Amino acid sequence: MNSALGVAWQQLSHQRVKLVAAAAGVVVAVMLMLVQLGIRTGAMESSVSFSRRINSDLVVVSPRTKSIFRSAQFPRRLLYRLPSDRDVQTVSEVYISLAQWKNKWESIEHPISVYGIDPSRAMLELPGFSHQATTLQLADHLIFDSLSRTNYGPVNDALRRQGTLETEVNGRRVKVFDSIAVGISINTDGNLYCSPTNFLRLFPDRPPGSIDLGLVKLAAGADADAVAKRLQPLLGAEARIVTRQALVDAEIAYVRETAPIDFIFGMGALVGFFIGFVVVYQILYTEVANHLPQLATMKAMGFTDGYLLRLVLWQALILAALGYLPGFALAIGLYEVAEKQIQMQFSMTWERALGVWIATLSMCAISALIAVRKAWAADPADVF
Amino acid sequence: MTPPLATPAPRLNAAVIEASHLNFAFGTGELKRQILFDVQLRIMPGEVVLLTGPSGGGKTTLLTLIAALRTMQDGELTVLGCRLQEARSSQLVRLRSAIGFIFQQHNLLGFLTARRNVELMFQLHPHVSAQEARARSIQILRQVGLGERADYYPASLSGGQKQRVAIARALVCQPKLVLADEPTAALDSQSGREVVNLLVNLARETGSPVLMVTHDARVLDVADRIIRFEDGRIVQS
Repeated sequence: MNSALGVAWQQLSHQRVKLVAAAAGVVVAVMLMLVQLGIRTGAMESSVSFSRRINSDLVVVSPRTKSIFRSAQFPRRLLYRLPSDRDVQTVSEVYISLAQWKNKWESIEHPISVYGIDPSRAMLELPGFSHQATTLQLADHLIFDSLSRTNYGPVNDALRRQGTLETEVNGRRVKVFDSIAVGISINTDGNLYCSPTNFLRLFPDRPPGSIDLGLVKLAAGADADAVAKRLQPLLGAEARIVTRQALVDAEIAYVRETAPIDFIFGMGALVGFFIGFVVVYQILYTEVANHLPQLATMKAMGFTDGYLLRLVLWQALILAALGYLPGFALAIGLYEVAEKQIQMQFSMTWERALGVWIATLSMCAISALIAVRKAWAADPADVF
Repeated sequence: MTPPLATPAPRLNAAVIEASHLNFAFGTGELKRQILFDVQLRIMPGEVVLLTGPSGGGKTTLLTLIAALRTMQDGELTVLGCRLQEARSSQLVRLRSAIGFIFQQHNLLGFLTARRNVELMFQLHPHVSAQEARARSIQILRQVGLGERADYYPASLSGGQKQRVAIARALVCQPKLVLADEPTAALDSQSGREVVNLLVNLARETGSPVLMVTHDARVLDVADRIIRFEDGRIVQS
């Protein structure tokens, strides 16, 4: 107890109610920062989650495509020029479009994303999809995304109970025979997966020769960047070939550009920081103001301004530590609630946990630096 | 040519406080009000000196100057070998940590027990181990008759008891000088008497000289020397 830290702890813990109030302020700040930044990352990650699931080496898109979810089509025949290159092993086309799903319990239609993918050459991380290759070939057989939002009706329950579910998509009678857990995003509330043939049945207006994505698998050891450069002339001006990472980066850039995710949630985190700052500052300032004669006495007795700073700073750091852990736990809890409510993935990362801890420390330290100025200004000669 | 009368005294007998031609004023220009006029003062080790006189006479101002809490204006003042008129602020802070202070108000920290309030002073002397600091704090609280109440918070001590804790705090690090500013002002006559006796006895044990400002005529008998101060001048020593 023979240190500024010990004295700081005595001062803080002397009035439990005050300590709890101050720590609660930090808890709210930490929680807000973690939740806002978590949602920001979650929204960002979910909107690029489909592109992250691609596991081919190269991807062909239309030059007009800004995002997979707003894709323009390009001619399929261009994609099939590529296997002539010695490094290209397989190619596969993907159709993507929005359809109207009929919620048969409420008889309301909701938009849903439909993916037409060849199960034998999927090149996509869709656990459980390729296993159903045989059934997917049957006419009008679809797989539902079990993480879709609930406005499509209790589809998962129905599948569990009956095995299959009949409904209408784009006015066509279809049979949902399975579900896989992939996940949704800010772009889409739900997903359906099927073979290219069944996709074209749902969208009779779409010409079969016009596709949204081309996936290109290369031979082992091929340099993706070099091959992409070599293949581009084969495609001409009507299609563009990029590496998987370049596609993901472009998707992130597109989301940043079109949805004000960074701004909205960044602002939310900033508000959290500010709330914490104000609460901690108020508490520390009141502590200093209430003990001004005593602090002036200490200065008269030979305690330096540096010692008083350490005294207040330690209190700030204790509050930071006391507030961070419950705030962290609360944020984890809220991530789980949010996952259940909006079916979006939120996860804590080391970077975010550390970043918010540093923000909390600086929030408290700045409060202390401002609060201690009153003690510094006290004239010890006034004690006499 | 005769040699100067005042030869530098040997170190052991050096004055603890030596003031000569000390002038001090508050304000400037038209509002300037001089508080101290040509003060000469010398206090030797082990002395107990009381400073009395009507209020507003400048006693407390003299005390704050000696305590290195005000900027010197005119004259010379040497405290514990430190020449205040030319010392740097870091030297002044170091000087203050060698002085034991007792004020009218006890100014104990309410969130620390009596023992911790006393122990706090050792943070100015970090070479003293935590165990020793604790032992010495308990020891001195016993000496001021508060051994039983070492773990009480100031709020549950009486006025006299709080002032006794303040005395323990001032003396626990064995200061080379004790400055007291009307330590009995807030106390009834009996506890005032007790507090002054404790202070003087403890100071005599450690050999610290005491300079005490007081109005309290009942405690004058403890002094080795009484200095009477009026209108900024020493009128009787």
